[in-house]
Amino acid sequence: MNNQMELSFSAAAENEAFARMVISAFLVQINPTLSVVSEIRTAVSEAVTNSIVHAYSDDTGKVVMRAKLDENYVYIEIEDYGKGIEDVHQAMQPFFTTEPEQERTGMGFALMQSFMDEVHVSSAVGSGTLVCMKKRLNAQEDL
Amino acid sequence: MIQSEWDGDRLTVYLDGEIDHFASVHLREDIEAELKRRPASQLVLDFSDVRFMDSSGVGMIIGRYKTMKAHGGSVYAQGLHPPIDRLFHLAGLHRIIAIKSGGQETYE
Repeated sequence: MNNQMELSFSAAAENEAFARMVISAFLVQINPTLSVVSEIRTAVSEAVTNSIVHAYSDDTGKVVMRAKLDENYVYIEIEDYGKGIEDVHQAMQPFFTTEPEQERTGMGFALMQSFMDEVHVSSAVGSGTLVCMKKRLNAQEDL
Repeated sequence: MIQSEWDGDRLTVYLDGEIDHFASVHLREDIEAELKRRPASQLVLDFSDVRFMDSSGVGMIIGRYKTMKAHGGSVYAQGLHPPIDRLFHLAGLHRIIAIKSGGQETYE
């Protein structure tokens, strides 16, 4: 099955649940297992939360979520146009966080990597961050 | 508003819904307010009605662990559904928080 969607929403904490709802609804067409939905919802939640908490910590803006189903894979992109990440490699280290006092764990990227097969992050300071994730959907196992 | 109940100096908080960044900010404030109102030696977090949690929830739990530990108290978790249980293990929470699987066990 080939299908895609794109959604743009304000970087507001209330929209974390909205983004999870939308990705779950989009995945319904492939009849995924609960565990696959749970993993993808968590990865999306982590990426969207990063945009809301970090990219737009000083102002507000838009977050764009794109999803594509292509044969046995789901591709998800979360993009923001916020402050960007100075050192992506450092940001992706488990437990690295710039805001420990806000009870941020620094586990976001690690969880995205645990729950998705591939995670790529590209970022430019002052213009934003793009997180691209890919996960194989094994139709046989889902039956 | 959190649903909670006191039994001596044990506070049980019944969490529900989806514990993400948005929910965690409110939970943190509500639980801290309750602990300030009345000191507890044990904080029990009940996840029976929690359908989703991400790393923001993990941060909220570690925060409450630090609050409790600061005056010698402890934190317990119960009612973990499989995805929440998996997150507890991935985050290493089971190393600092005792997990209760049934309702019959005692809190030591």
